[in-house]
Parts: sequence; structure tokens; C-alpha cells
Amino acid sequence: MMKRDKALEILKKGVESSQADQTELVLMGEDFSFTQLAENVIRQNIYRSDHTIMARTAVGKKIGVAVTNRIDEDSIAQVIKTATEIASYQKEDPDFVSLPSSSPAPEIKGFYQSTSEYSPTKKAKDVEMVVKRCKAQKLAGTGAFQTETDVTAVVNSLGTKQFFEETKAHFSLTASAGDTISGWAQGYDRDVNKISIEDITRRATLKTILSRNPIELPPGKYTVILEEAAVASLLLFLGFLGFGAKAFLGGRSFMARNMGEKITGDRITIVEDPFHQVMNAIPFDYEGVPKKRVTLIENGIAKGVVYNSYYANKAGVESTGHALPPNNTFGPYPKNMVLSGGNSSLEDMIASTEKGILITHFWYINYMNPMKTQVTGTTRDGTFLIENGKIKSAVKNMRMGQSILEAFSNVEMMSKDRKLCPQFGVVMYVPAMKINDFTFMGG
Amino acid sequence: MKEYTKLAELALSLAKDGGATYADIRIEEIKQENISVRDGTAELIEKSTDFGLGIRVMVDGAWGFAASADVNQESIQRVSPQAIELARASSRVRDKHIVLAPIEKIVDSYQTPFVTDPFSIPLKEKLDYLLFLDSLMAGVSGINQTESMMTFIKRNKLFASSEGSIIQQLIIQSGAGISAVAMKSHRQMGTRSYPNSSGQHQTKGYELIRELDFENNAGRIAEEAVAVLGAKECSSKNTTIILDGPQMSLQIHESIGHALELDRVFGAERNFSGTSFATPDKLNNLRYGSEIVSVVNDSTRPFGLGTFGYDDEGVKAKRSFLIKDGILTGYLSSRDTAPQVGMASNGCVRASSWANVPIVRMTNTNLLPGDKTLEEMITEVDEGIYMQTVRTWSIDDTRESFQMGCEIGWEIKNGKLGEMIKSPSYSGNTVQFWNSCDAIANEKYWEIWGTPNCGKGQPAQNMPTSQGASPARFRNVKVGS
Repeated sequence: MMKRDKALEILKKGVESSQADQTELVLMGEDFSFTQLAENVIRQNIYRSDHTIMARTAVGKKIGVAVTNRIDEDSIAQVIKTATEIASYQKEDPDFVSLPSSSPAPEIKGFYQSTSEYSPTKKAKDVEMVVKRCKAQKLAGTGAFQTETDVTAVVNSLGTKQFFEETKAHFSLTASAGDTISGWAQGYDRDVNKISIEDITRRATLKTILSRNPIELPPGKYTVILEEAAVASLLLFLGFLGFGAKAFLGGRSFMARNMGEKITGDRITIVEDPFHQVMNAIPFDYEGVPKKRVTLIENGIAKGVVYNSYYANKAGVESTGHALPPNNTFGPYPKNMVLSGGNSSLEDMIASTEKGILITHFWYINYMNPMKTQVTGTTRDGTFLIENGKIKSAVKNMRMGQSILEAFSNVEMMSKDRKLCPQFGVVMYVPAMKINDFTFMGG
Repeated sequence: MKEYTKLAELALSLAKDGGATYADIRIEEIKQENISVRDGTAELIEKSTDFGLGIRVMVDGAWGFAASADVNQESIQRVSPQAIELARASSRVRDKHIVLAPIEKIVDSYQTPFVTDPFSIPLKEKLDYLLFLDSLMAGVSGINQTESMMTFIKRNKLFASSEGSIIQQLIIQSGAGISAVAMKSHRQMGTRSYPNSSGQHQTKGYELIRELDFENNAGRIAEEAVAVLGAKECSSKNTTIILDGPQMSLQIHESIGHALELDRVFGAERNFSGTSFATPDKLNNLRYGSEIVSVVNDSTRPFGLGTFGYDDEGVKAKRSFLIKDGILTGYLSSRDTAPQVGMASNGCVRASSWANVPIVRMTNTNLLPGDKTLEEMITEVDEGIYMQTVRTWSIDDTRESFQMGCEIGWEIKNGKLGEMIKSPSYSGNTVQFWNSCDAIANEKYWEIWGTPNCGKGQPAQNMPTSQGASPARFRNVKVGS
């Protein structure tokens, strides 16, 4: 994997060779290792290494973007030339002011040797243990064990120079008994040694055993207890629908015209917090702007959205350091959201529930009405009926149809303990929640 | 790509020396051009190149895969042993040896047909055309936001296997789409897209852009976006629905294509993408749909995003039935899954790039056309809704329970189209739904629709697929807003 000095040197050299008015180079490198377990056998075992260089050039107010995965000097010069040619074809963008000029981002420890050096053989040994435990309980284990080392570097012609090296480790397991009975659990950390494969296996297999003989519940409104991964899915979608400045300024976000207004219950505070002690996230964005902590919702009141330099200029505010790569048109995006915790536990929530449904996680959430944050999706891998404070039986998966903001307005309890949940490139730190009047549409 | 044949042979030879009983290598270059215009401004013009190699080996009956962006002798000497090491690690946790369905040795080259190489058209011409379309939409009173895009992809790849196959392929893909948004208040939006919300994508050259006739549709969809804002909501009820081609494409993709991926059926995707209700015990006896429903996997059909000469295991493109006269008769398979149901691979193994391991994927999943005109299908309905254009969707992890939303609908009353309906949705159970299909429009209405980014697998891969369809009618379907 490319080290700091080399990465910054080749980018600096590239930027200096550019004929454009302004030039930005982003380097992304990965060493990616992945072991896929399927039905108690390792089905795939994968390793890859790659580097991507993205060039963004400005000629006046005309912008061009070009991408290559060749990192030799000639290829970098060529990708800058291509971006500059593209810029010459462009129309002027009146809202473009300048590429940002940033001071160095704070130092964050995101790299762990333990993760970087975790070999396929070590993973296979872990997975061997998982399979042994699954087989002992007459279950089938299907899972994924991923470790990766990534580098990101940004250099531009205005003096911005950033570099970050990070590791990620993620293990998830679905234990199953036949075609329809399953239980799921996961763990994520920068340091692979902090993930307990044994504990994840214990939780997934226990869920599966409890999931036998599921009953069917009719559609309707129920009290639900959402485990952390289920809460994270709702939060992820909230971020997708409205915490970015592009949707906000375009009036397509539920946050638009609601700033300062109460949009959820008092208990909900959501902060985009790359610097939270459990996150240790990359401290700058893909245009090299140091990230800021942004309060999105505070005690139920809409407080802010995240910005990149383009939309910050448009809105007359400062960038919060949330640009995506220059070839992404989604706009700025929060990738490290932290949801406030409460003072109870999952056990307290179950014990306090006369009748309700315990949900492990959701599958295929998609919007039905984005402005109302109305979404649908199904429960998965462990759905249980709670009666009189205890798990009474497993429940067949159900399709929910629910406004996320309404759900976050009906929160009765939140757990003190929170978990890191990675989903689709976003890492969230969230509690479990007990929510009243959650709507299911059946099937 | 021919110049890399020697490197490929070196990789295969090193794999064999390392103990591989089977090996293949893919060397692939992907060039891409993306242009997107939003509200009269070119939001992105991008050119990209991605180049690398991936080596897959089987050792002791288990798989290993390693990939690198470096394509030279030195990297082959590094990556081939990495793949062997990974396969040896896999073999620690295996059941029985993986068995590959036999295939013939192929030495061949193939390219998708095109008239005009889209990369030969100047960027300026493409941008000017999109800005022109943008102005046509923006010129309609009441329109607040406009978007248009073009995307072109050229995949040049070399496949070589230890069984002696050497295959070169050139696949060219073009795509474009436009959309307009009208907003009444911050809570109310009307959106219309053409030809679909994700555009239309085919393995054609720049001629696709010209064929789509955007000029004569830009104003129409902008006017519909304004009109749909004031249209009535879809009331909740069970009724007859007719779905247009793009929506049928999504319905086929989600509730037939994914459900019949044989790796998913065997549980390989259980930890993420899910499983399938269509288990092998149902093969040749499940009435998946009504008698008029026949679906083929057909990578030989021209212009689909799943059209190729050979799949990424070197299996020749094929047409095979998945559902025949309503009965489940086949799956999408690979060389290592097909033998488990006593079949030969029907050539459905694809990787999104050199960097990813090839997995079972849809190619072109085509619903065969029926015998009616769309007008006849509408005339035969006393009360129902004609729904157009994909808006949103969700389906459960076994591919049974789905909820779909369209951009626009029209009431059908006494055999005639009536009032416009705002963003109608429908839901159902896969088998019940396909069994309620009582009419499919004829060949004249049939089109192969592209899905440019179908997500599947761990690690996730985005793959282009297509679904051929004409409008179809379904009875007693639950609808709502």
C-alpha cells in the first residue's frame, strides 16, 4: 500500500504539471481481502489491490473530471490533460467559485497493523470455528469476513495536502435452519482484534434457534423494539433522503423549510461526528476540506445539513467537509452519523413491553414518499413477538410502511449502549430503540 | 487485448505449478464516459479508464481469487501465488470438491454490434444535445428542476482458462435519459422521466441516442410532471393493472431474475442479498405464472446489457427457458452450481470488472411477448389502472413479497383511459402476481430494457442486466398511493 510521502509526492508532481487554472488530484488505494462463507463452506476467498486517481480541473468556471487506475507519471499527466480538455468543452458554471484551500486536517489513528496483516489463513481458522459451532447446533453458517487497508490523499493547486491511511474489519454471520429460519449478527471495528467472532456466532446462532416455528401476525400498528442494525437502516435512509445540502437547497429534502422546527421526538439528537471516539473517521473529505462536526437534529429540532465547497459557496456558508469523490453527483453526504443514546437496555425494553415485536434488522428499505420520509422494507433474520415482557415466539417476516420521522417521534425508550453499524459505506453509532405505533402492511 | 495472451498463459502456467486443478484469468480494460446536466448546467463530464487482471484458481476443490491493477509479468508472478494461497485457505473449510460442468474449449473473439462508436462522437456534441433537451423541459411552465444524462461504456476483455480457452470480447454500451420535476410546495413533487427513471441502456453505439427520439418526448414529460402534481391520489383497493414496458422490466428483474439465480437458491447469498422461494424441489412443478407467462434467459438476444459472446467462465451465450407456459423450468447458473441440479451451465457468470470474482448474474431475462395490442388490453378492462415508469421498489429477501411504485398512472374505466393518477403503487406476492397475468402485449410493443447498475454479492458488485418485456395486465392486484 502506498505510503504518505510517495502518495503526496506523485500527486504534487501531477498538480504542478497541470495547465489548468486550478487542479485537484484525489488518490484512493485499497488492499482488500474477503472470505465468503456459504452454508458451512468457504465459497469464495478474494484479495485485490488497486489505486484510483481522480483529476478535477477548473478552467475559469468550467470543470472537467477524469479518472484512471494507472499511477505512473505519464498516466497522471494524461488524466489531468483529459480533465482539462473536458473542462474546455464545458459550459461555465456560475455557482462555481473555486476549489477549496485547506489547512492540514487533524491527526486521527485509523490504521491498525493487526487488521492490515490479518491473513486469509487466519480468517479461514476463524471461519472453521464458526462452522464447528454452527454444525454442533445443526445450523448452516453463511457469512462474510472482510479486512481492508485504504489510503486517501488529496492535493490541489491551492496548497491543500491531505493523507489518511485506515483499516476496516467487518464480520457478519447468518446462521440458518432450513430455507426460512435464520438469525444474524455482525461486528465492525478498525482493529480486527476487537471483533469477537465467537460472540457474533453465539448471537447469530441463538437468534436462529429462537426463530423456529414462526407465527404470522396481521398487519397493523405495533410497538417495536429495534435492535441497533434496524435503527441504523432507518438513520441511513434519513441521511440519504435529506441530510445533504444538494437535496436541501433544491427543496427535495424533508429538512427544507423545516430548519429550526420540531421534526422528531425530544429524545432524538443526530450528529454527523467523524471525530467521535468510536469513529476515528477520515478527517477530511474528497476535496481535502477538514471535516466538521455537524448537528443534524438536536432534541427533535432540525438543525443542519452537511456541505461541500460547491453547495457551501451557493448557500453562502462554510463547507463542513462532506464532499464525495468528484465524479459523484449525489452532493455532500454524512458518512459518520451518531444517534444519541438513552438510559435503558434491550432487556429493559423487552421487559417493559406488554405486546410488541422485536426486530433484528431490515432488508431492502426504499422510499415510498421521500418528502414524508415514508419508507417500506421487510424484517429479516430474527423477528419475535414480545408478550408480557418476554419473547413469546418467532414471527414470520413482515413488510413495514412507515415514516421515519414519525417513528423517531414515537420513541419510548433508547438503550444506553450503542453499536457501530456499517451500511453501504456509511458508519453509524446507534442505540436500540423502543418505538410505539410502528406500521406493518403485512406479508 | 491479444497482446496480453502471453501474460495470460504465464498466469495459468504458474497456477498449475502451484497446484491448481483449474485456473482462469481475465484481463479487462473498461473505458467510460459520463455526462450529466442539471438545471441547465453540466453537473459532471467525466472520462474514466480502469484496467487490471483477476486470476481465479481451484486448489483441493476450493476457490481462490486475486486481482491487481498492475498488468505485467511481475504482477502475474505475485498475483497467481496469492490466488493459490487463498484457495488453500478456502480448502480448510470445504465440504466436497467443487465440480465444474464440462464445457468445450473455445478460441474465439466477439463484439457487440454497433453502428457508431459512441466514443468517436465529440463530447461537445453530446453536451450540447443534453443542454438542448434540458431547455425543452425547462421551457414548460411550472417545471422547477430538470436532469439529463448520457453514459457510454466500452469493455475490452481477454479470458483464458487452463482448459485451453482464449476469448477476446468487446462490449459497447450506451445509455441516456431525461427527467423533469415540478414542485407545488415543499411537500409535493411531480416527477416524470423518459424513457425510464434510470434512462434506457443497450449494447448499441451512439445510434441508440438518436433512436430514442428525446426531442419529441422532452416537452411531453415536462407537461406530465406539472399535470401529475394536481392529479388525484391512488385509492387503496384491489383492481386490474396494466404495467408499461419499463415497469415490467423491473418486475421481471426483481421477482423472476433474482429469484432464479442458482447461487442464491443454494444459500450462497443468504448473508446479504438473500435466498429464494424457488427452491430446486419446485423445478418443473411450480406454477410460477399463468399459462401465458414464458421467460427465457437469453444472452444471444441483440442489444441487451446481458448480450455477449461468452460469459466470464467461457461458456457460450445461450437462450434457455426459465419459465415455460407458466411452469418453473430452469435457473441462471454457473459451472459450479449447474451440476447440483443436473444441468449444464447456461452461461450466467459475470464479474463487474477485473477486480471482482465472477458470480451468477442475470444476462437478458426476457418475458416472451403475447398476442394482444395495448389498446385491446385496455379495452377489455372495466375498471383498473395503467401504470408507467419505475419510481421506487422493495422486495423481501426470498423474493416473494414486493412493493412497487410508478411515476404516473391513468384510470381505466369501461375500456378507456381516464383521469391521471399521481404516483400509484402496487404490492403482491410473486407467484400469486404472475399467476394473475392474463394478457401480454405483442412483439410490436416488446423492448429490451437496460438495468445499468444491478447490485448483488458480497463484496457488492454492480452489473448491467436487461429485461425484455412488453406491457402486461394483472388482475386483482392491491394498489395504493
